Amino acid sequence: MIKLSHIHKIFTQGNTEVVALSDISLHVKDGEFTVLKGASGSGKSTVLSLIAGLSRPSSGEVLVEGKAISKLPDNFSALFRRENIGFIFQKYNLIPTLSVRDNIILPLIPQNPSEEVLTHSVNHVMEKFSIAHKADMLVKNLSGGEQQRVAIARALINKPKIILADEPTANLDAKLSNELIAILKQLKEENTTIIVATHDPLFFDLDFVDAQVEMKNGKIV
Amino acid sequence: MKSKMNFLLLEYAINAILRRGKKNIFILLIFSMLVFLLSSVLFISDSIKLELNSVVKSLPEITLQRFVAGKQSDVSLSRAEELLSIEGVKSAIPRIWGYYYFKVAGVNFSVVGIDAFEDQYKESLQKIVDSVDVGVLEKNSGMIVGEGVKKVLEENYYKDFFNFVTAEGKWKKVTIAGVFSSDISLEANDMILLPKNTAYEIFGMDKKMATDIVVKVSNPKEIPMIVSKINLLFPDMRAITKDDIRVSYQNIFDYKSGFFLSLFLICAFTFFIIIYDKTSGLSSQEKKEIGILKAVGWSMDDIIKEKFYESFIISFCAFIMGLCAALFFVYFLQAPLLRDIFMGYSKLKPDFILPFSFNVEMLCLLFLLSVPIYIAATLIPSWKASTLDADEVMR
Amino acid sequence: MTLTPEIIAILMLDALFLFFALIAFVLSLRILFKWDIRSTQPLQYALEKQSYLVSVIIKYIFVLKLPLFLFYIFTCNKLSNIITGAMCASGVVNSVDFGLYLMVFKIINLYLFGFWLLLNNADMKDELSPFVRMKFLFFVIAFIPLLLEIILEISFFASLNISKIVSCCGTLFSLTSASYLSLLFKVDSSLLVGLFYFFGLMVLLGYILKNIPVFIFANLMYVLFSLIALIVFFSTYVYELPTHHCPFCLLQQEYYGVGYLLYISLFVGTFYGFCGGILEMVTHKGHTKFFKISLFFNAFYLGLVSLYPVAYYLKNGVWL
Ligand SMILES: Nc1ncnc2c1ncn2[C@@H]1O[C@H](COP(=O)(O)OP(=O)(O)OP(=O)(O)O)[C@@H](O)[C@H]1O
Ligand SMILES: [Mg+2]
Repeated sequence: MIKLSHIHKIFTQGNTEVVALSDISLHVKDGEFTVLKGASGSGKSTVLSLIAGLSRPSSGEVLVEGKAISKLPDNFSALFRRENIGFIFQKYNLIPTLSVRDNIILPLIPQNPSEEVLTHSVNHVMEKFSIAHKADMLVKNLSGGEQQRVAIARALINKPKIILADEPTANLDAKLSNELIAILKQLKEENTTIIVATHDPLFFDLDFVDAQVEMKNGKIV
Repeated sequence: MKSKMNFLLLEYAINAILRRGKKNIFILLIFSMLVFLLSSVLFISDSIKLELNSVVKSLPEITLQRFVAGKQSDVSLSRAEELLSIEGVKSAIPRIWGYYYFKVAGVNFSVVGIDAFEDQYKESLQKIVDSVDVGVLEKNSGMIVGEGVKKVLEENYYKDFFNFVTAEGKWKKVTIAGVFSSDISLEANDMILLPKNTAYEIFGMDKKMATDIVVKVSNPKEIPMIVSKINLLFPDMRAITKDDIRVSYQNIFDYKSGFFLSLFLICAFTFFIIIYDKTSGLSSQEKKEIGILKAVGWSMDDIIKEKFYESFIISFCAFIMGLCAALFFVYFLQAPLLRDIFMGYSKLKPDFILPFSFNVEMLCLLFLLSVPIYIAATLIPSWKASTLDADEVMR
Repeated sequence: MTLTPEIIAILMLDALFLFFALIAFVLSLRILFKWDIRSTQPLQYALEKQSYLVSVIIKYIFVLKLPLFLFYIFTCNKLSNIITGAMCASGVVNSVDFGLYLMVFKIINLYLFGFWLLLNNADMKDELSPFVRMKFLFFVIAFIPLLLEIILEISFFASLNISKIVSCCGTLFSLTSASYLSLLFKVDSSLLVGLFYFFGLMVLLGYILKNIPVFIFANLMYVLFSLIALIVFFSTYVYELPTHHCPFCLLQQEYYGVGYLLYISLFVGTFYGFCGGILEMVTHKGHTKFFKISLFFNAFYLGLVSLYPVAYYLKNGVWL
């Protein structure tokens, strides 16, 4: 369960204040698939980063899985993120000079798992997204579609309950976009909570979407 | 917190260093250069200290010099007999020795008079004296010389004899009867041994006198007692104990290495600034990476830890590299250039070999002088990096 | 003033510590006055980030201070070679009036900084960061002895005069000494040794009864009487000389560095006992792991130090 109540987010840059979000309230139940839509600059990414605890609201409260993530100290919010949230970004956000395997294990490193656990989980996701045969290749030498799958594998290695996707199809062609949607659908069937921030119309009339939330100038309309 | 070592994080850190190879190699090289200079200086000074200490060890417990009007002057031989009457004095040996300035080469030789029937004041000398027949030397007017002396003489075409100019301004021809090498090379190198009579002649000394007297005691703990008794007996004599010499040697070298270290501190400070600058200037790629790491669940602590691993690996590698280079430079190559600055001896002296001296204490000292500076310089930049906002990656 | 490489290393690290500790001090003051866990203002977020810098700095200082303490004693031992009259570190330490205070501050600071890290650890393990104010207040206070230590250390090395003749440990640790140390030798040594064992037992008792105040008190007295008993009684058996009482000579190589073993186990034992106990009182959370460590090392010290007289008696059939 994700619950945002009366969230304001103000960025200060020097003397100017940018109001990115004003009085946002949002409720997403477990296992729901929510699409956040809105024009560029409307505040979609900001909402996602608040939910993940990557940034903190100027006022209001963010509850995720019953925890006030915005109030947690950094080490706990990181732990929470690691265990519960998987991120899929617009530009894959992989480290290009690391191998596929090394990119996928990034979320596991801080908890220092044993070699067996590590190998098991990494092989599991690599096979699931059929990139195991490229495990030792550098990410920068992969095709766009392969990079996309690596990014998804990394987001899912910790079996998160929540998936946050920020414009996941912005850089994909139609075929890859559809593949991604298929994956998201499968995750939804596994009862994962999913929030996708996008202005890609592909998402607007999917049958498994539970809610569509439209944003404009930092407000929900 | 006190969990076991996180090897995955370590691996990531190594990878991160390699990925930014150029920047890191630059830092690695300067830092190992710094460690290299520092270790070389300390190795050389330690090595010379060791050499001097072994010299000191062989020195007599007490050396007595007579001072007249504030200048050192000769001592009457009869005083040696009188000294023996002091309780605890094992032996009192008068020495006839001095420096001889060889103008052509611009060097000083130390000329020591020896006697077949007298004990020498130290073991190494005794060994040399035992190996030659002083009677024959006396008859043929010969001398034996250190290797350094031999070399200098040969350069000046004295193959098998040398013409001393005596105090009276006459020539005194002395043949070279032999060459000795001593394990205590530092002082033996410039030494000339010849019969006492020849020495008296060269220095123009009265035969009833000696340059100074060395005293051996049976119990080293009694030295202060004996010194005070000697002072009572002969108020014009100054007693120099082995300990005095050891302390003054140690001071000279600590002072010299202190001077170099102060220079080092300036370098280290500059280095601190360079590292600080290099590590705090993050490229947009690096910023993005930190954003990714935070997004996938790394805490500030994890990032600081990773950065610490990075700086520890770099500084430790540089430390080992600099250290090995210095060991090679000082003990294998015998520290060309650097030892000359450091020693300031006459031309003859540099011929000796730096004895190997390396121990755990030295290792600790070098480590404490170098690695913590590096880590300190990266503390604030690492923390700054860990506080970067993660929403960089969202754009 | 003599500048041996060792002294320069120590002074340089002191300068670094001073620089970083000042930063940490200023940040701690800010945090102390401006901290508001419920605030969502940028200031509060900035303070949270700065609190990490403080803990990084303190970790850095503490981690270096531990080996540096041993290095300091080693340096004094080495300096005793060039200072007339000094046979070991104690002569050097006492060659300056405040040498002993410097030593005491060094030890106290190790306990203080170690305690800060324990407190920080406990704070970080709790989602509510309940000890934030306490730990920064604690650092603001602990900064003063650190500052004193650094000032004393700098003036110690500055006023170290190698031509001055100092007394060796033989006279410092004896009845004839002018300092208050000599008072110790006037007291019957069996009483002091008895008290040492008594407080050792009390530590055990405190542990069994799970009585924290007793445990803390016993540890505090235990470290005091360990040192006293070591000086007046046990050291003579290590040296096998009835008149040699020096606590520094133990660190020399002739005794196989047993001093390092003794002092480290005493420090670890009493540190976890004393600081772990206080931590438990402050946090109201069980820290039995610390108490176990404490008990183990205290017992180890006690056993090791008792071994010497027993071995001597078995070998020679008499006591010293
Ligand atoms: N770190 C920041 N500093 C200042 N302003 C910011 C910052 N991050 C976001 N903003 C501002 O907040 C507003 C919302 O940004 P946000 O990235 O959430 O929009 P978005 O809906 O994700 O847009 P897009 O579709 O382009 O990704 C924008 O006006 C942006 O300029
Ligand atoms: Mg966006």
